[in-house]
Amino acid sequence: MNFTISEEQQSAQQLAQQILSDFTEVDKLKAMEQQQQSFDADLWQALAKAGLLGLDIAEEQGGTGLGFSSLTTLCEEVGRTVAPVPVIPVLVSAAGTLRRFASDSQKDQWLPGVASGTTVIGAALEEYNNDDPTAPSCSAQKMEGGYAISGTKICVSAATSANRILLSAHTGDELIVALIDPRAAGITLNPQLVSTGETRHELVMAKVQVPTEDIVATGSEALAAMDWAHLATRTALAAMAVGLCDKMMRITGQYTSEREQFGRPIATFQAVSHRVADCYIDVECLRLVTQQAASLIDEGRPAKDAVQIAKIWCGNAAHRVSQAAQHCHGGTGVDRDYPLFRYCQWARQIELTSGSSAQITGELGQAICAEYLPKVG
Amino acid sequence: MNIELTAQQKALQQEVREYMKTVMTPELLEEIKIPEFKEGGGPEFRKQYARMGADGWIGLSWSKELGGRELSHVEQYIFTDEVVRSGFAYPFLTTESTTPVIAANANAEIREEVVGGVKQGKVVIAIGYSEPNAGTDLASLTTKAERDGDDWIINGQKMWTSLANYADYVWLAARTDPDETKKHKGLTMFLVPTNIEGFSLTPVHTLGVRTNATYYSDVRLPDKYRVGEVNAGWKLITGQLNIERLSLFTHGQVDSLYQGVCEWAAETAAPKGGKVIEQPWVQHNLATVKSGLEVVKLICWKQVWAMDQGPLNMADASVAKVYSSEFFVELYRLLLEVMGQAGTIATDSPGAVLRGKLEFRWRVGPVLTFGGGANEVQRDIIAMAGLWMPRTR
Repeated sequence: MNFTISEEQQSAQQLAQQILSDFTEVDKLKAMEQQQQSFDADLWQALAKAGLLGLDIAEEQGGTGLGFSSLTTLCEEVGRTVAPVPVIPVLVSAAGTLRRFASDSQKDQWLPGVASGTTVIGAALEEYNNDDPTAPSCSAQKMEGGYAISGTKICVSAATSANRILLSAHTGDELIVALIDPRAAGITLNPQLVSTGETRHELVMAKVQVPTEDIVATGSEALAAMDWAHLATRTALAAMAVGLCDKMMRITGQYTSEREQFGRPIATFQAVSHRVADCYIDVECLRLVTQQAASLIDEGRPAKDAVQIAKIWCGNAAHRVSQAAQHCHGGTGVDRDYPLFRYCQWARQIELTSGSSAQITGELGQAICAEYLPKVG
Repeated sequence: MNIELTAQQKALQQEVREYMKTVMTPELLEEIKIPEFKEGGGPEFRKQYARMGADGWIGLSWSKELGGRELSHVEQYIFTDEVVRSGFAYPFLTTESTTPVIAANANAEIREEVVGGVKQGKVVIAIGYSEPNAGTDLASLTTKAERDGDDWIINGQKMWTSLANYADYVWLAARTDPDETKKHKGLTMFLVPTNIEGFSLTPVHTLGVRTNATYYSDVRLPDKYRVGEVNAGWKLITGQLNIERLSLFTHGQVDSLYQGVCEWAAETAAPKGGKVIEQPWVQHNLATVKSGLEVVKLICWKQVWAMDQGPLNMADASVAKVYSSEFFVELYRLLLEVMGQAGTIATDSPGAVLRGKLEFRWRVGPVLTFGGGANEVQRDIIAMAGLWMPRTR
């Protein structure tokens, strides 16, 4: 048992902190929010230059190969700074899956560009009322030289700038994982404004032809790939929530220590300080379950329970901390000239992405039932 | 980062688990049904405690000089977790909290008498801190010890002196400097043999267990029973608090309740067909328990791991106390809800589930959130030490 964060991971985290805070001054964030797409290309290049886009890409493809845990610390830092960069869909859901499940030629084709920041591979794992990419309703029809894919994916990040988007569909009896070109014939991208304030896209596919070379996996390989992507994405979201919640809590600790009412800082009222202390407890709990899930995934160990637990905590803590932070700030918390509102928007987005706490609690409960029923037989 | 027990640590866990099965003899299981002996003190308890001593299981964390094995905090936690899980009323406050302090601070004769006795499983020590008017604000205690030649004359009353009804000594905090400005600096620690003249007790029957009020009426105590310097008692009290908590909120004791209820729900028929565990609301409760329990495990592990690296961060220690104590209470309720009416049937009545363990546990639950440092004080510490917020008033 060892809770030490490795030196390499620590220095990656510090480097990320430095770059991200340079690029997330309030004026910059505001300017970015005026743009059509909330994606800071300069920041993305800076992260690439520092080697931070390749944390979980093998050295052969131009990454540093530090692994999944290191990548989750980058996600945590992005959460801490609410930086407009699509680290989770591109680096975790797409590149992480390609690293582990794509053919050598696909890896050579796409991953060096992701590491160097010249290629963006998005991911579209969610559909209406379905966050499980192992059981998509999108369909695929086998045809000469590849597949034709039809169906709808939702809230896709970086859809207009991505070179390819990773997604899954089923042929009726098996699952496939494909990289689709968002500019291909048969694709419609409908803008969707989401809680974070950014514009994402509904991706509608009508018999979109995908050549064989862009098919990442089929059958049981595809199932394993989407299973991994699902677990890794949930864990990365939890890591991002650690950064978000930790920052919201610290902003609130500082604000309540300075804000005076009735002639004294409001933090000197137990009713206020205890609310912030409860955030501290939530953040610590979330951090522990997230670290456990990330380290299990990193080691290739069974991680399903740990990931479910991490995402349940993620949704609950994100909601509670965000709500407490807003409450303790009074009107300032909802003012768009004060930084807190962005964190609260992201918290809600993450809470409802890749399965809510209530849904996953239900899933975990079913798993407990399946574990114990045969035991007592 | 690797958040799992090593093969060696798992082996220790298994070894303790197997050994404790031999400690929980059928005779002991019968004996603890008697309310008087639920928390230990019966003849079979004494026999098994002494056997643990003879088999070398007591004081594993102590220094080699004291006959211990200098186990790391992680290993000591594994031992504690398994012993608590077994249900044996092992006197952790005696072995882990007070004895190491006595070993480091008592004079040679007392050290031999007490530390040697504990090591052999023959001595139990009760804690005499709280008083009717000194609880969370412990340093306001008024039981006083006055010097009289080579002796001390002790007068006062202690409250919640658990185990005093069978303990051999009370580890007593007394005021030795009446100057009110020296609140924390006027306290001294003593060991009071429970067979000494002037000592008496009355039972206090709580919602859960039996405890005691203890009385000290002109107790004449030789100076050799003083532990540490005069007026330097506060440090001896607070130095052990984190260690003490480690034995209060272990994972195994509640994990075994969770597992027991899962098994019960899987084998018990639901009213409208199927098993209890197949109902969505039952699954919801069990999943909520499981995701909270995982944090209890991780918090315990991180704390003991951190203690092996250096001093424990104050805010982290308070996080562990608040989270665990409040989650234990929540867990009791969530699991009792699964059992419904059957959850109210007490030990030994027909139909009791898990021998009524949960029916009993909820009774001791309320103590957890204020005992060992009230959670309000812990939250104050978190805000100050963790977030540098100003002191509340």
